[in-house]
Amino acid sequence: MKLPFSTRVATVLTLGALTSLSHAQNGLRDIPDTAIEAQLKAFKLVEGAKINLFASEPAVANPTHMNWDQRGRLWVVSSPLYPHIQPGQEEQDKIVILEDTTGDGVADKHTDFATNLHIPTAVLPGDGGVYVANSVEVLFLRDTDGDDVADERKVVLSGFGTEDTHHLLHTFRWGPEGMIWMNQSIYIHTHLETPYGVRRLLGGGMWHFRPETRRAEVFMKGLVNSWGHVFDEWGQSFMTDGAGGQGINFVFPRSVFLSSPGASRILPGLNPGQPKHCGVEALTGRHVPDTLQGALAAPDFRGNRINLFQLTDKSSAYTSTQIADLVSSTHGAFRPIDVKMGPDGAVYVADWYNPIIQHGEVDFRDPRRDHAHGRIWRITFDGKDLVKAPDLTKASEADLIQHSNAPEGWTREAAMVELRSRNPEAVEAALKSAPAPAGVDPDLFALRKVWTSQALNRFDAVGAAALLSSSNHKARAAALRAIYYDAATNPEALALAEKAIADPHPQVRLWGVSVLAQLSSSETVKIALRALEGIEMDEFLDFALWSICREHADRWTAAAQSGNPFATTSQLLFAVRALNQAVAVPQILSALGSGELSSDAQVAGLADWISKVGSAADLNALFEFTLTEGAKPSHQTTILQALASAGNLRKLQPAGDTARLSRFLHSPDLATFTSAASLAGLWKLESAREGLKAAFLDSAANEAKGRAALEGLIALGGPPTATMLDELAKTAGADYLLRSLAVIGRTRMNPNEGAKLAVAVLTDAPEGKDLHGIYDAFLANQQGPLALAAALENATLPQAIALAGVQKASSAATKPEALVAALQKAGTIKPMKMALTPAEMEAMMEQVATIGDPHAGEEIYRRAALQCVVCHAIGGAGGVIGPDMVSIGASAPVDYLIESLLEPSKKIKEGYHTTLVTLKNGDSFAGAIAREDTNELVVRDAVGKENRIPKTGIASNQISPVSLMPPGLTAQLREDEFIHLVRFLSELGKDGAFKTPSNRFIRHWQTLMPHPSTRDRIGHYGSKIFTEAISDYVWAPVYATVAGAVPVGELPEVEGRGKNLMGVARSFIEVKNAGPVKLKIAGKLADIELFHDDSKVALPGDGTGAEIVIEVTEPGRQKLTFAGLKGFGLERVTVEVLDDASKAELVELKNF
Amino acid sequence: MKSPLFTGVLTGLLALGGILGAQDTTAPLLKSGDRIVLLGNTLFERARLYGQLETTLQIATGPEVNGITLRNLGWSGDSVFGDSRSYFGPPSEGRDRLARNLGETAPTVVLISYGTEAAMSVDQGWTDDAAHAAATAAGLEASRDVFLAGYQALIELVRKSSVFDLREIVLISPPPLENLGAPLPDQTENNRRLAIFRDGIRELAKKNSLRFVDLFAQMGGDSFKGDVANPALTEDGVHYSEAGHAVVARELAKGLGYSEGSLIDRNLPAYEELKAAIIEKDRLFFHRWRPANETYLFLFRKHEQGQNAKEIPMFDPLIVAQEKQIEEARARVFAGMPRN
Repeated sequence: MKLPFSTRVATVLTLGALTSLSHAQNGLRDIPDTAIEAQLKAFKLVEGAKINLFASEPAVANPTHMNWDQRGRLWVVSSPLYPHIQPGQEEQDKIVILEDTTGDGVADKHTDFATNLHIPTAVLPGDGGVYVANSVEVLFLRDTDGDDVADERKVVLSGFGTEDTHHLLHTFRWGPEGMIWMNQSIYIHTHLETPYGVRRLLGGGMWHFRPETRRAEVFMKGLVNSWGHVFDEWGQSFMTDGAGGQGINFVFPRSVFLSSPGASRILPGLNPGQPKHCGVEALTGRHVPDTLQGALAAPDFRGNRINLFQLTDKSSAYTSTQIADLVSSTHGAFRPIDVKMGPDGAVYVADWYNPIIQHGEVDFRDPRRDHAHGRIWRITFDGKDLVKAPDLTKASEADLIQHSNAPEGWTREAAMVELRSRNPEAVEAALKSAPAPAGVDPDLFALRKVWTSQALNRFDAVGAAALLSSSNHKARAAALRAIYYDAATNPEALALAEKAIADPHPQVRLWGVSVLAQLSSSETVKIALRALEGIEMDEFLDFALWSICREHADRWTAAAQSGNPFATTSQLLFAVRALNQAVAVPQILSALGSGELSSDAQVAGLADWISKVGSAADLNALFEFTLTEGAKPSHQTTILQALASAGNLRKLQPAGDTARLSRFLHSPDLATFTSAASLAGLWKLESAREGLKAAFLDSAANEAKGRAALEGLIALGGPPTATMLDELAKTAGADYLLRSLAVIGRTRMNPNEGAKLAVAVLTDAPEGKDLHGIYDAFLANQQGPLALAAALENATLPQAIALAGVQKASSAATKPEALVAALQKAGTIKPMKMALTPAEMEAMMEQVATIGDPHAGEEIYRRAALQCVVCHAIGGAGGVIGPDMVSIGASAPVDYLIESLLEPSKKIKEGYHTTLVTLKNGDSFAGAIAREDTNELVVRDAVGKENRIPKTGIASNQISPVSLMPPGLTAQLREDEFIHLVRFLSELGKDGAFKTPSNRFIRHWQTLMPHPSTRDRIGHYGSKIFTEAISDYVWAPVYATVAGAVPVGELPEVEGRGKNLMGVARSFIEVKNAGPVKLKIAGKLADIELFHDDSKVALPGDGTGAEIVIEVTEPGRQKLTFAGLKGFGLERVTVEVLDDASKAELVELKNF
Repeated sequence: MKSPLFTGVLTGLLALGGILGAQDTTAPLLKSGDRIVLLGNTLFERARLYGQLETTLQIATGPEVNGITLRNLGWSGDSVFGDSRSYFGPPSEGRDRLARNLGETAPTVVLISYGTEAAMSVDQGWTDDAAHAAATAAGLEASRDVFLAGYQALIELVRKSSVFDLREIVLISPPPLENLGAPLPDQTENNRRLAIFRDGIRELAKKNSLRFVDLFAQMGGDSFKGDVANPALTEDGVHYSEAGHAVVARELAKGLGYSEGSLIDRNLPAYEELKAAIIEKDRLFFHRWRPANETYLFLFRKHEQGQNAKEIPMFDPLIVAQEKQIEEARARVFAGMPRN
């Protein structure tokens, strides 16, 4: 028998009472052993690697960042003060210099360089001292008397925000061009007065700063916690994010990413669904094994491991493939937060060392926070000699230039920093006569000379221009980046950028656009738009063009008033769409009419744009176009959708004879009918009423069409619609779907009238389930909850349907307390006790630790009824509404997990706050803000639907303290099940069976729902029938387990031959070039059939796994389908793509 | 007067005759019990690190004037529209915050300094205030006019928000910029612009019958010929160094009606103690009025850490205790160096 959760807590309490006395505080049992040995035992390293301790407390405690100086000494900042200074507490955070004087890989000397800092988050030696991020300021500290203790302290920059101390200015790094690069996170608002004017960055992003000129400029915006930045060999920038979870991000000037405030467009990272990272470093040099050369090491501090990624080119950007972890640990306090290659060629890891890493979720003063420990680890590789670091401080300028071409990134960077301190004339002379270093790509050598000239602040513009003629696109792109920074004062820049725009390689074009964006010429946009021609566009280049069209709008819009300032109408369309304003509308409409703009993409883009910015006359021109002889159905559909959107969002309709819409109300195409039905209502076409009514009453046969018709009827409104819906809802014997829809429709028209109907219909709900969304209709209206609450007064409801309402209402952003109370009363529900007392919590945690079974927990997590996977992903596989759970166990304490399941609103993850938008007409939308521009706000609701809201209609917009996650989801679980579920969550990301492996398993699947035809047809055609495009096959999403497998038992039972039951699933991979692609399949092979598109793939007749090769003849999307026989011992099927992402990309199936 | 940010001050001896806007603007500014607020941007924000500004004023008044306290509300990059104070919202929220801070600090005297940020950002835009952003990027005159209109509104906001015993508002022109030679930029043009802004501020002071201190003129801005500064008083041509702040402090004191003779030798050990005590008080006050983690303590994530917001007022007694140290150190300065 299932009891509400609260009544079971008492049982747990009795069980736990004996043990609870031995623990002074919640969760202290989880504090890992602080001994060095305990950590050493817990490491698992990539093959051939070793790890040793370089330094630890008391020399270093809670390190936040580190960098080397030219002498090979490691500078570490540490902050026991984090997360917040206490009244009376001194500002005593430190910079320590760690030195290995004997060369044995262990620091044997440590010196406190400074001991008076306030949560320092970055340290960068150079220029004869050290740059430090000290909360609101960048300091430059210097030792003037040789005792390695700072005695001079200057403020270099001030005005950085401190709204959140884990977002403070951070991640300092020297660029190859001798500038300091620095990042800030999402909540930080920075206001700098530079000698060149005020610079503001409100939100996350990255700055570059040249100390000698004091020029600080914003490079890119966005990312939640942009805690990592590295340059590849050619000087391209890659960033990681400690909360965004998209792995490696390729960034370029003016690029905008996740969470940038007010962004109307953002770019994706290269590894969606990856764990979150702090720090990133490129593995370079002779000590690094060949297999890891150039790999990016990104610490997954939540998962106690360091991930590795390999990059390959893809159009203007890159593909990033995750490979085996560099190191992972079962020790819960191992928190790698920075990685740097060392002077000896080894990899050094800063370990913040803390069982608690959260900032907001765990109390600032939680005693489990560690304020005393810290570790620096050193990873070396067998069979590879270490590198002898050159003595750079004694090297000549000529030698330093050779060192700046070393295979080791450390040596190159340190040589550059040393050269900055030398006499610039001497360095320039040495550059002129520098012989080409052996074994170095001549283009790379030429580029490094340009960089060195920039490091001296004496830019070699001639050298950079010459590189633009290189046959290597990476050299050409790098040359443009070198030109970019001072392009505004470079007379050659315009001509060079113009040449780059016609480059055959999209990445060079991307940088050409970036240079143009720096210039004041009136021609910048005209030149930039030529980048659209002659190559296949990609998202990154498209973004750069979109950005310049907007930033330089005043340079082309006047000319676009009457003509076309650009080479083609297609370019003009791109520009006006980017601008999102009614510029050049007549020219564009005329090109539509003449057929000059005729591709589906052009027409869809044009219609979408007109729907947002066009006048009634413009809408009419679009409408007329759908009525012309020979208009393509696909064009008609997209235009009708656009007109409906204009009607809904802008209350605007074509200035013309709208009755001509009727022809589309007979369309068999659902999308066309839906738009037409909506338009008929919006345009008040009374003549359409009967047709809509018929379609609505036929909802049982075609629900989607019926709902579309209802939309039209609601919009048509008036007594006829009201009476029809009233009567339908009151007809007890009528189809339940129709009655529900009638209530929903009536509620949309008038919540009080809808409420009068709702009680009876809810009472009749089959199995107590609100199958069709009656509650949602009330919750989506400002007056709805009160109306329903009033109607429930003195009424009773069956308990189950009332409970369903309580759950829905409790997670509504409007906090409709009156409705919750009314539902509880009507359903005689006692309020569920969701909060545990400290003692109950203690007992529960003990149970999780002792009897919780994570494997059982995973099965519970995956149960459809619990809905976890609908909203949450693990490692990218699953819903996108809630946070990815990939490493929740490694980052969140058990009490936090329990509390979050029981009381979702108590702790809400960064970026998952619910925003409640109320419109002037009383409608309300709750969800996360997906994006916004000047005209509209897009809110993603709890079922992942994106709602476009015109800003002019918004009455209020506030952050709600309520989580989108409904409380009470776990109320249906037995106590042991709840414990297993918590245990499973608590294991996620920890080293072991529930850390998402880096293998490229196919994780996004669609499973075939049972279909009446399969049994007959399989007899004739075999399992091949599952690969066919049968129009009424229904495919539902299914995601792989943490281990990457599809549990066949979970799949719906599809009838096969005889009495056989099958589980069928399919997925897709994207393959770039024709040729073989290697896969690995695991499972009981005798019971599996596998298909590549519609061809059967030969598998061994028995065994539990095989590597196979599929031959791709047509590049693009490849379908993989498997059919597994149920009931004969086939438990799970795993399909892994062995080739890397440059050959075959996994496809994420988010919306289907 | 109950004020969480300005605790333990003497309020009894305030001169009652001063009606705001009608006082003698050449007499020495400060009276016993005055609560000074500094309102501006980087110049004032960094003054807290060096301490000379308050130390100089504390000495300049002489031993007869007592119980002066100072709260530094300087914020880097701020504008007359309150850009830097706005956190997640538009600049108007920054002005709301400033109004709150003024209510809490209840100043009798407010020293305001703005202008560098605007004069240097002509053609680039220097505020995100939606009503004015475009004009601030539309050339020198438009930018200056918007600046002066914003400044006038700021004066009114200060008057309205400082409800207790506000006695005087003083407008202080920004000090001049310096040329430090390549590769730092030449500031000749910016100084020319700054002079135009200064002229506007002077007119504004006159119009509002406010005391005006022309730091720009006093520190040689009007005779600036583009020469490289020697010795340099700024770090980068814009921001005054520790040594520069000593000069700013002296010139400001002179502009506020104190004679050269009232500014005693700053090398006295007691002077250093006084300065150190002031720097420590400013450090404590910084954590009080601009605490880190605002998002969690007071803003939209306060449901997570709001329980720790109680720690922030716990800085108040520490500030009061530190102010006692300041008074004592000040007394030692006067004991060691009787005035001429």
